[in-house]
Amino acid sequence: MSADDSGEDGAGVSRRDFVKAAGSIGVIAAASNAAVDVDIDDLWTDDEHHYVGDDYGEYGASDVIHTTCGQCNTFCPIKVRLADGSGTGEYSSLVRKLAGNPYSFLNTQPFSQVPYESDPDDVAMGDVEGSGDVETDRWSVSGGRICLKGQAGIQTAFDSYRVRQPMKRVGPRGSGEWKTVSWDQVIRDIVEGDDDLGHPGLKDIWGYAPQETVMSDWEAVQNGELSKSAFDEKYADDLIDTDHPDLGPKSNQIVDVGGFRRNFIRNRLWHQGLGSINSIHHAGTCGVSSVMGNVRSHAAQKKRQYPDIENCEYLIVWGTNPMVANKGPTWLAPKLTNAIEDGMRMDVVDPRLSKTAEKADTWVPVEPGADGALALGMARWIIENDRHDLTYLQNPSQSAASDDDEPTWSDASHLVLVDEQAGPKARASDLGLVPEDADTADDFVAVDAATGEPRPASEVDTAVLDVDVTIDGTAVRSVWSQYRERVFEHTIEEYAEMAGVPAKQISEIADEFTSHGKRAAIMAYRGPAKHTNGFYNTRAIATLQHLIGNYDWKGGQITPYAGYSTMSGRYELGSVPDGHSPWGIPLLRGGVNYEDTSLFDRDDGYPAKRPWFPVAPPQATQELYGSAADEYPYGVEALFIRPYSNNHVMAIAGGDEIPAVLKDTDAIPLIVASDTVIGETSQYADYILPEPTYLERWENFGTYPNKRLADEKISQPAVSVVPDARPFEDVLIELWSELDLPGVGEDAIPDADGDLWPLEQAEDFYLKLAANIAYGRNPVADASEDELRVFRESHENGLGEQFDLDRWKAAVTDEEWEKVVTVLNRGGRFEEPTEGYDEAFAEHGHGYDYAERADGSNAYDGEHMRYKLESRVDFYSEVVPKGKHSFTGERFDPLPRVDDVEHYDGTVQAAVSGDGDRERPLRLINWKPRTQGMHRTQNSPWLRETRPENPVWINPQDAEERGIENGDDIVLDAGRKTVDAVAMVTSGIRPGVVGAMWGWGRRGDGATTETIDGETRPAVEADGHSDYQFDEPMTEEAGYAKGRDAGFAINHVQPLDEELGDTGLSDLVGGSNAQYDAFVDVERR
Amino acid sequence: MSEHTDTDAAHDEAAMATARARLYGLLAATFDGEAETTAAALDRGAFAAVAEVFPIDIETADLRGDGYDADSLAIGYDNLFAVPGTHYVPPFASAHAVDPSEAFESDSRYHTAGEAGELLGDPAAEMAQLYAAAGFSPERGDEIPDHVAACFEFMRALCEREAALLDEGGSEANLDAVRDLQARTLSRLGWIDRFEAAVASSDTVEGVFAAIARLARTFTAWDAQEVVQTDLQPSETTSSELPDQ
Repeated sequence: MSADDSGEDGAGVSRRDFVKAAGSIGVIAAASNAAVDVDIDDLWTDDEHHYVGDDYGEYGASDVIHTTCGQCNTFCPIKVRLADGSGTGEYSSLVRKLAGNPYSFLNTQPFSQVPYESDPDDVAMGDVEGSGDVETDRWSVSGGRICLKGQAGIQTAFDSYRVRQPMKRVGPRGSGEWKTVSWDQVIRDIVEGDDDLGHPGLKDIWGYAPQETVMSDWEAVQNGELSKSAFDEKYADDLIDTDHPDLGPKSNQIVDVGGFRRNFIRNRLWHQGLGSINSIHHAGTCGVSSVMGNVRSHAAQKKRQYPDIENCEYLIVWGTNPMVANKGPTWLAPKLTNAIEDGMRMDVVDPRLSKTAEKADTWVPVEPGADGALALGMARWIIENDRHDLTYLQNPSQSAASDDDEPTWSDASHLVLVDEQAGPKARASDLGLVPEDADTADDFVAVDAATGEPRPASEVDTAVLDVDVTIDGTAVRSVWSQYRERVFEHTIEEYAEMAGVPAKQISEIADEFTSHGKRAAIMAYRGPAKHTNGFYNTRAIATLQHLIGNYDWKGGQITPYAGYSTMSGRYELGSVPDGHSPWGIPLLRGGVNYEDTSLFDRDDGYPAKRPWFPVAPPQATQELYGSAADEYPYGVEALFIRPYSNNHVMAIAGGDEIPAVLKDTDAIPLIVASDTVIGETSQYADYILPEPTYLERWENFGTYPNKRLADEKISQPAVSVVPDARPFEDVLIELWSELDLPGVGEDAIPDADGDLWPLEQAEDFYLKLAANIAYGRNPVADASEDELRVFRESHENGLGEQFDLDRWKAAVTDEEWEKVVTVLNRGGRFEEPTEGYDEAFAEHGHGYDYAERADGSNAYDGEHMRYKLESRVDFYSEVVPKGKHSFTGERFDPLPRVDDVEHYDGTVQAAVSGDGDRERPLRLINWKPRTQGMHRTQNSPWLRETRPENPVWINPQDAEERGIENGDDIVLDAGRKTVDAVAMVTSGIRPGVVGAMWGWGRRGDGATTETIDGETRPAVEADGHSDYQFDEPMTEEAGYAKGRDAGFAINHVQPLDEELGDTGLSDLVGGSNAQYDAFVDVERR
Repeated sequence: MSEHTDTDAAHDEAAMATARARLYGLLAATFDGEAETTAAALDRGAFAAVAEVFPIDIETADLRGDGYDADSLAIGYDNLFAVPGTHYVPPFASAHAVDPSEAFESDSRYHTAGEAGELLGDPAAEMAQLYAAAGFSPERGDEIPDHVAACFEFMRALCEREAALLDEGGSEANLDAVRDLQARTLSRLGWIDRFEAAVASSDTVEGVFAAIARLARTFTAWDAQEVVQTDLQPSETTSSELPDQ
């Protein structure tokens, strides 16, 4: 209201007259009840005091390096803001702040990323046209989102307990005493062996012979053409056991345990350089049973389940917690909350009321491990009520599916040869439908609904689902017929009883799931999977989505493994000239049937001494140490571990049994750890080599297929905190050079023209990888002169003397360098949501959903996702029944099923049908803490302040029975072990179930004393703060960090396998270590 | 915290605040489509009585008399403010904003980014922030924070609160706070000018809403300039928030 109208007149208005006139209103106006509540001394409003700070310091792109976070396995693109005064002190630079990378769509939710070509200086200062006003638009100068764990990364890099020099143990393994040694000496010791410690060197251990030569000679021995003694003599130095050549070469006894940097260390150095098949990552301790359950449910690559959140109408989050974990806090959490706000219904299946369940429409507290029953119960309701997508299921092939605008199709109508061992699916030529050389000979077979005749699937438009017939004397049965029979083995009430979920609720969820067409989806991960029946649970859940055929549809299940090429293009980084081919039985016995090996006869058939994982990758990490101790299938001579991401003592169920093996120098003669700190696992090594943290080294982390667009992240060194730390790649290059192994040194990496490039340091590899990324699809723009300057200045600021620009430039061609700089200045490549994005962004700003609304979306293709699975999905897996249980010899099941939780020998740990009276009746589950990334982040006092220990959640019903109140000190009795803990009484956990966060109870990394060069460092007490008052969980009023040893280690109260006795239980089909199957009791202390 | 000592002055101020609250309440009810209240006020001549205090050109003839029944007012209201059509005048600020809310995060189909005129644009966010600061949840205005009815309802509540503080001898700080909020709110009602002009050109048949809008515009301008500003104790946090004049 301008004052002009009332202007001069207004001054003449009499207040008294006004009050009088208004008096007549008093009896009329029916005032609403809404009132204000202003009783505060100092009024504030949001835009002034909350959410948006407007006080910021000036800095530019030369103070910023974009890289990737390594605090948890989400691997967010981040922005490292280097502190002023770089290049002083022992470290090259301090870090002022870590934030999200605004170039990446992963860290700018719910906004849109800045256009890829935006000038780094504009991005640093928030000056990109369209990115709005810092003071009013919630667009922070610091860039994109980062979570609390990510921010605490500064304390990972600058942890005073970092390993600063190569160290060699003093006294026996695990004595806690170390002396520092030079890099030269440690390299020499590892290569040549060391008499002091009495360990052999790699020169003594390594041996290799190619598989073709060995096995052809072995065949000659069998045929009597070559004497066994001649064979023995020929291969004595190369093979592990000349009586069992299938174990492979001696190089297999040199074992790598890492996790990341797989392309470099596993593929190049271990497999092709060393010729060892044994490079192991974290899969067994992680969700590999979930991954395999998904892999066996889809013909094309699909390891994980994710919805197209923006368009999903109904989402079931199943045993995962995306508000906190599973690529959650920065990426999924804002998307989920926005979708809920926009009307998406989300239900959460979890025994615990997780942060995600708190946001759910319905929380479904399933009985742990009974997820398969819940899923099959839902399937039964769906089928009984004809709510499955019949049109979708009757498409037997891509061509039939295409006619219905379906990018995927299922095997429901495919026929299975039921009388054959392992029940393969019939091919057209098997049934004599076409000649063996016909194009359709390998087609699956379906019965054409139009003619009633069996035909090659590609020739059938609409197939019959229920088939159980004999064709020319061959019994066949459709997949659907078998799946349906499996589903109908139990009534919904029986499934409800097993799952501990009311039958009515099962029907309700199934009804909702099938009420949104293709716009319903499931996101599942560890919860159902980390049991010995985890593979089958995942299969049951995955196949629910086959029933509605939601793949590749907007709002349905998405699978965009979209990225830019990393390993090939300009350089063939996976190619090693004259490299070795690794072969033999993997130490962890994945991908091999026990009965197909020579050990089967040696050991008198079933049962095998330890479990085999015939249809899973050889990554059942939990088997590593017991196998080494048992020398089964062979011994480990040298173990190289990188426990920053594979701290097995803490991460494996039953990991408390590992130190006994590690301490035994007979079991493993040489142990080398490359670690940032003296951790729970590395403390038993012969040598600990100082490893740079993720802020100080190279890496190329992948992104999970939960995004609509393509991206490729690259980590680069941003600071150098420990001058003598060396990335393990560099150490291995030196070791391999000493051993004269292929893949390193001169002429190691071929480019696209076949010219060879040297590999002498990590950057020789990663800068070429950046070049591949830069040229993938359409090449990125060249960096301008300004950008080249910014690159040089920022790296000089961050890395100080460690940065050698000329050396970096020499790793690629001059032409490539300018594009490499473009990629490095942005921390990777990130696809834009639409064509012409920079102009659109300038016009519409960052608060606009371009993928959804703009023309030329790169995310969608009409009603479909642009990046598609586009394949068959499988109710029935042909692969799974090829595998046999190595204790019983029984084939695994091709279909989803409900299964008990069992030990290796079949002893039931938890029956799906329920257990009678147990001595310890409470099922113990665990979960990732909101405030910790991994065990490794416990070094951060910031994070320990937010949650200083892991209380045991217990339902009030169970607490009352035991006289326990919130905050009571309790003893948790797991049978083989008891631990002290604190009770947190909450209705947010299912009765009969207790649980706690993992990540606590550390004994390394400053949690206990360390002695180096005769000087003893005490354990961290409480980081200089006063004692933390943690009497009542969730009611604390102030946060003080406890010591690094606070809380208890959840994996150390897990049951040991009854047959093995040295590790936790395993899922033999999927490969996971069971981590939610302990039974405990608790009582007040 | 000091108590008021001059009780007479406080009493006058309280009476003034109550009077303002009443008029804001009546305007809120009217622009919320509460036709019976509007009809009763017209019947009793309440609008006309207030309008006559302001020596400006308001067609008070349209504001008095018993010629208006609630039903016809409801139809008139719907035609003007509820049903999009030839006579439609959106009763919320975002639609009358001059600058587009490009930066406001909105997938709303009403939002044509880059152009002014939308639902739930920046003005809505600003009003919502003010409500949040005062712990206020508007009951009027169809859950549109910058709806004229919600804005007036908020002013009604603030004025009531001011009156109560004066009557009860509340703390200076609280009184400052509530007056500060009134100033901030009024400073965001500049769009009423454009709203009033739009109603004037759309409500050409009966003219009652045009006249009430005219009254609303005049009253809020007067309130901002003469009452809130002059009575407000200047403080560093509030003076800069007053509207440019």
